[in-house]
Amino acid sequence: MKTRCAQITPAASCTRCELVRRSLRLCGLLVFGAGLVLSATAAPSFSRQSATSQNLASSSIADVKCVIGLENIKPGAKGMLTSLPTGLEFTTGQKNAEIATSSIQDVFTGRESRQDVSGMGGTLVEAAIPYGGGRVVSLFSHKVDVLAVEYVDMNGGFHGAIFVLSAGKATEFKNQLVAHGAKVSTHVEAPEPKEQKP
Amino acid sequence: MKPHRRAPLLSMFSFAASGAALLMGASLLAQPGPAAKQTQKLTASAIQLERIVPPEDLLIPEDTRVSMYENVILQLIKTKKFQHVYRSGDRNATDAPDLVILHLIPEAFKKGSQKEREVTTVAGTTSIKVKVQFTSRQGKVLLEKDVEGKVRFYGENLRATYDLAKKVSALVNESF
Repeated sequence: MKTRCAQITPAASCTRCELVRRSLRLCGLLVFGAGLVLSATAAPSFSRQSATSQNLASSSIADVKCVIGLENIKPGAKGMLTSLPTGLEFTTGQKNAEIATSSIQDVFTGRESRQDVSGMGGTLVEAAIPYGGGRVVSLFSHKVDVLAVEYVDMNGGFHGAIFVLSAGKATEFKNQLVAHGAKVSTHVEAPEPKEQKP
Repeated sequence: MKPHRRAPLLSMFSFAASGAALLMGASLLAQPGPAAKQTQKLTASAIQLERIVPPEDLLIPEDTRVSMYENVILQLIKTKKFQHVYRSGDRNATDAPDLVILHLIPEAFKKGSQKEREVTTVAGTTSIKVKVQFTSRQGKVLLEKDVEGKVRFYGENLRATYDLAKKVSALVNESF
């Protein structure tokens, strides 16, 4: 019996070892496959998260008037002003201009009032109203925000750009530029003159 | 014609002729000579506009200051008097052979109101007064003049800076 057992035991132990090895390999393959599947499903969700964080970092304001100061943009052009992590972008129908965050020297905000009826057409309309009615039309105005950005070009030349935005948007935009790393100095606010009622 | 009728005509003619001669002489004397004109003209192939820094006691809104600077740059380019118009801080200006530096020193600023202007037509004027100074690279003052930009009737407050820039370009046209 002993001799029989002794004859059978090595063979049986070898098959068990084989079985254990195979099961380990299978388990390993299963774990690897599961890892692959998990990573494949997780990758898009991670990239989506980074994209959303970028979207949060940039914001656009439509219907902004660039009064003066941008290369290749005609003074008085209207377009979209976007704050990007890389800087500031102004886009009109076909043209766009960028100001890199590192080149921004200072940002100022202010508030102005604009006539509701203005420009050449508005002036003609006001003049056409009889009995001085045009002056009554001139009484209607609205507040706007003014954003002035001082920056330097590649040669170190000083530039300044002025934008007119809807009321209450300039400060928020300035804060975004500052959060992206734009330089801002402390400013002395000029007191607003009181508008006398005619 | 009889001699007693000729006499008053002759005296009138001589009076008119002498008056005309006096006027011509006076106008010729009043005109500066060509040599004087030439000495007043400045020559430069390049100009650099320095940043506009108001004195400490004068508050000028930043948008007005920036608008003034940019409008003057645009108008200087439009004059076509210079091969190069350099901005403040431009490194390329250091190599320019005969460079004139333009300083705009604000002296007074009065902020008006567009609404007041359009309603009353007599009040609400926005005005900026600056000292325009052309200097050499070494700091020697070549020309100095006070210029005032205004918006009286129609237009936004920033239009005063455009008016000022037009006057600066007119000064450049007559001085260079």
